[in-house]
Amino acid sequence: MTAERFDAVDLSILWERLVSITDEGATALIRTSFSTLVREGFDLSILIFDAAGRMIAQSTKCIPVFIGTAPVTLSHMLMKFGGKLKPGDVVVSNDPTIGTGHMYDLAVMRPIFRNGEIAGYAMSITHLPDIGGMGFSVSAREIYHEGLRLPILKLVKEGVLDEDIVELIRLNVRVSDQVMGDIHASIAASAVVARQVLDFMEEYDLASLTPLADEILAQTEAAVRTALAALPDAEYTSETDVEAHEEVRTLKCRINKAGESLTIDFEGTGPCVGAGINVPFPYTRSMALYAIKCLTTPDIPNNDGSTVPITVTAPVGSILNAVPPAASAGRHTIGHFVVPLIYAAMAEIVPDRVTAASGLTDIMTIQGRHADGSELSATYFAAGGFGGLDGLDGRQTTPGSSNIGTTPIEVFEPLSGLLVEKKALRPDSGGAGQFRGGAGQTIVLRNATGHPMTVFSMANRTQFPAEGLFGGKAGALREHLIDGEPVSGQGRHTLMPDGRLTLNQAGGGGYGPPAKRPTAAVRADLEAGFLSPDGAARAYGVRWDD
Amino acid sequence: MLRLGIDIGGTFTDFALIDGSARRTVIHKRLTTPDDPARAVLEGVASIADEAGIAVGAIEEIIHGTTLVTNALIERRGAKVGMLVTEGFRDTFDIGQEQRYDLYDMRLRFAEPLVPRRHRVEIAERITHTGAVLTPLDEAAVRSALAYLVETEGCEAIAVCYLHAYRSATHEEATEAIARSLYPEIPVSTSSGVFPYAREFERWTTTCANAYAQPMVDTYLARLTDGLAEIGFAGRLAIIGSGGGLMSPETARQHPVRLLESGPAAGVLMAARLGEAHRIDNLLSFDLGGTTAKGALVRGGKPFKTYSFEAAHAYKHKSGSGLKLQIPVIDMAEIGSGGGSIVRIDQLGLMRVGPESAGAMPGPVAYGRGGKEATLTDANLVLGYLDADYFLGGAMRLDAAGARNALDARGKPLGLETLRTAWGIHDIANEDISRAFRMHATERGFDYRRSGMAAFGGGGPIHAARIARKLKVPQVVFPAGAGVMSAFGMLSGAAQFEVIRSHRTAIDALTGDDFKRAFAPLEEEASAYLLSAGLAPEAISIERRLDMRYRGQGYDIEVALPPGDPAALLAALPALFDAAYGAVFEVTLDEPVEIVSLKVEASGPRPVPVPILAKATGSAEDALKGSRMAYFPTAGGLIDTPVYDRYRLTTDAEVTGPALIEERESTVLLDAGDVGTVTPSGDIVAAIAL
Repeated sequence: MTAERFDAVDLSILWERLVSITDEGATALIRTSFSTLVREGFDLSILIFDAAGRMIAQSTKCIPVFIGTAPVTLSHMLMKFGGKLKPGDVVVSNDPTIGTGHMYDLAVMRPIFRNGEIAGYAMSITHLPDIGGMGFSVSAREIYHEGLRLPILKLVKEGVLDEDIVELIRLNVRVSDQVMGDIHASIAASAVVARQVLDFMEEYDLASLTPLADEILAQTEAAVRTALAALPDAEYTSETDVEAHEEVRTLKCRINKAGESLTIDFEGTGPCVGAGINVPFPYTRSMALYAIKCLTTPDIPNNDGSTVPITVTAPVGSILNAVPPAASAGRHTIGHFVVPLIYAAMAEIVPDRVTAASGLTDIMTIQGRHADGSELSATYFAAGGFGGLDGLDGRQTTPGSSNIGTTPIEVFEPLSGLLVEKKALRPDSGGAGQFRGGAGQTIVLRNATGHPMTVFSMANRTQFPAEGLFGGKAGALREHLIDGEPVSGQGRHTLMPDGRLTLNQAGGGGYGPPAKRPTAAVRADLEAGFLSPDGAARAYGVRWDD
Repeated sequence: MLRLGIDIGGTFTDFALIDGSARRTVIHKRLTTPDDPARAVLEGVASIADEAGIAVGAIEEIIHGTTLVTNALIERRGAKVGMLVTEGFRDTFDIGQEQRYDLYDMRLRFAEPLVPRRHRVEIAERITHTGAVLTPLDEAAVRSALAYLVETEGCEAIAVCYLHAYRSATHEEATEAIARSLYPEIPVSTSSGVFPYAREFERWTTTCANAYAQPMVDTYLARLTDGLAEIGFAGRLAIIGSGGGLMSPETARQHPVRLLESGPAAGVLMAARLGEAHRIDNLLSFDLGGTTAKGALVRGGKPFKTYSFEAAHAYKHKSGSGLKLQIPVIDMAEIGSGGGSIVRIDQLGLMRVGPESAGAMPGPVAYGRGGKEATLTDANLVLGYLDADYFLGGAMRLDAAGARNALDARGKPLGLETLRTAWGIHDIANEDISRAFRMHATERGFDYRRSGMAAFGGGGPIHAARIARKLKVPQVVFPAGAGVMSAFGMLSGAAQFEVIRSHRTAIDALTGDDFKRAFAPLEEEASAYLLSAGLAPEAISIERRLDMRYRGQGYDIEVALPPGDPAALLAALPALFDAAYGAVFEVTLDEPVEIVSLKVEASGPRPVPVPILAKATGSAEDALKGSRMAYFPTAGGLIDTPVYDRYRLTTDAEVTGPALIEERESTVLLDAGDVGTVTPSGDIVAAIAL
């Protein structure tokens, strides 16, 4: 078969079908998953590669961390097992340095054999309910505290599950039935995807995926290059300070746009710290690719063609290129800053596409006992405000960089033993601007269990706010308080019975000078609870007389 | 017995009259009157009675479906609602669900809350998730809030939304009593009364939507019942709900939010009856209309139901941008591929069909009403599947040259010939619909590959055989009257009402008697709606279901209790849960199990189906009305294709594809090797050549 055979109709149908296979696989995995992050937040990915290991289709709904990471994982798997794969083999690994940056994510890969030859590879990556160690927190000092690290290994050899490895996993994790349940589901999903790829090749009479892959990758790459070529050539830089576990780190980025390609270098970024917030490079790269995709080609599917024109580098050992023994379970705490960092640098080139910085997401793990003495463990998410954009106010309480939904109060209270006393918009938290930043929120949680409770916080923006753009003001800082006293946003705290934890979520940055905001819009903000009368006077000089 | 089904759609109001004793049906279609929907209904009832030669007074039952509530939410034409909400949670609608429904689009819009913030008043009160009162209801605050909302702000309806009211309704009920004593003319909706499910954002949105629609539905139903009485109707009026059950006008007035999606639900009910009639256990219901397609799943004659529904998408037709509601609803996938779907070329140079639609106005280029952009219908015309002279039975001539030019405007720049462009559009739409079915079925653990399909709507029968091929579905049913399926579907529904109640208990702490007692009030409540509609107690059957979970897990599994005394069934509950859990997760856990909530659905008897068509036997040749050039790639391309007159096909007649079978509102396409057989009920059942 030659590439000429694919016209706009063929390519549309064949390409859609491949993506459809990955979406169907992801749907099946979500349905059976025990992990809240997978079920509620699409913390998973299903991918198809051609025989050369090029990624050609990826499930549509995912979070940024899965952009561009899986091809790296597969290449390491093939470095180890290339030429030694047999039908029925399943290779796995959760090594953060070749994966997604923390050990919760397990990659499960199955070679697709056709007539005795490898026709391609199917892979699933899901966030497991547990991986042992200290749990989902930033409290580890080094990677050895964070749980079970599985090197690249064959979990299934020619259709036979390696029971020794299963026993090893079971012994090292909490909720082992759920963890193994999810691993078995991933193995089954890879088999279903592999079978469907073979059916697809049969149905459309494709002897190999290669010509189709060539076409898919070429079209995608061309679309990205066209979008890049339309931007002016130049070099742009930005930097930001972030709190990093009782220290401060500066993140720096330099973006060079030349012709149809773009390089992003994080040279100058500070070193790792002794807490689980260091970011392995694959995570940094995927966040960078995500930011560029949003600005240039938001509607095209993810595959290897979309990443070719973009080069990302970061100095080894820096907090954006962490290597063992640096800990990384809560790598999102720092990693989420990559997106606003790039937006800040790109603001001069595409002022109408970037957002001002967002308030980002607050994630915490809670452990303790229910009133009846049984054990409890729950995760809580709360969003800050989104950054303002050209022509559009930032939306209140909307997660930036990554994406995760909130748990309803009525579901969360019985799971966590916490009583939510208040969850309200936080007035005056959104940065002022012609297009203001989104408001954060105030959440008051009371320990209603009668037992002390441990709270593991993984917050950011408690020292450095979401900056505005083009004269827009910064959003309010994030604050954590216990019984009215400020506490660190990154670490471990005890909440005594009836103790109150107050979370003030950060606002998004504003866009454009506040003086340009129409008075009617300021009045509407007052009505909507985004501003208090005093706040309106301070930010916009508008007095509310009524 | 004379029964009349009426479906108000966006463009047409459809009427289907079944005369049980004479075994005949009469169909009527007229334009919807959006300013006063009751007008088209009343005029149509008179017309169809006239056509059938009967008196309106002879009609024993009218069953009615309406888009009134759906449209009110889309167009924001509802009442001014005041909301009372637990202190600390006035901003719940603004804070939202804290998730972006599209990861890459920085400019997402979300549905505006139905109640503006100034009309949401906080009330000091708090009930915990166990149902205990933590803070007593501040009744003085309720009084002053109501005075502000009703007297100062002029609110026309009140929504009472308290946390954990699904667990204990005491505070909401006390609030409702105060409101009714102070302002008896103002309708009140409580979140415990509307649909008491946990998840405050959706429950409160649903409660506000109910309040929002109440005054309008009240007015409409009053106008309708009065108007029908004036023209002599003395029979029973029922309204079909989103879950496919029939409600009395009184019930519909209390629960107007359950009128959402009532027309499409009736179509699925009809598909379910077809599945039963043709003994197809697992069935895909496929409806392709002017702007969208709808897919649903039916197992053992029962449509899959769900309790979440999103109405009125606010941004680019995207799921996530609408109002998220909790009501019992037939679980439908909405697919952005309809006859009016517009063809475009994307950033990758690939052809796409929809989700933008030319709708009914201006519609496809072929309609000649000013449409300029190529659509799916234009492609189907150019491919020869539609007859330019026999569209809607010849009532509307189609512009084939215009359609061809519009296709070329899209295809020529890509180097595609006209026919190739047309086929691409048709096949891409089929692929998109297949994909939506795969996702919808997989998400629900339904194996579509060995199921059957029922195809209806104006465009469903053209696309079904090829979609079935892509899905490896071996059998497709093409019902008679595919163009007015919803109106017929209403006549196959039974009176039904579902209630839910939170009931958190560990199953090992329960006795059989407790278990039975827990269901009793729900059975009484659900039955009351049917008894008040005139059903005899012995005609009501009860179905009991439970939401259950492993303790500590955040997700529930629905378990259906077999018929019989619940007290005797308690012992079987763990095994029933294991089976339901295993069907989803493929494993079971060694953890304690608890009940989260109880559901009871009371149903009246189902009407006896009346065969719609019944003709003597004969051969297909008698119905052959000619042939035309149509595109069948598997049979060699553009070929001279036989065209049959559906109305002349007789029982047991066999038609082998490639073939086209025409009726007024739709055309059945059989591809090469498919064999369609006409059943005594007038349906065509096709074996697909997989």
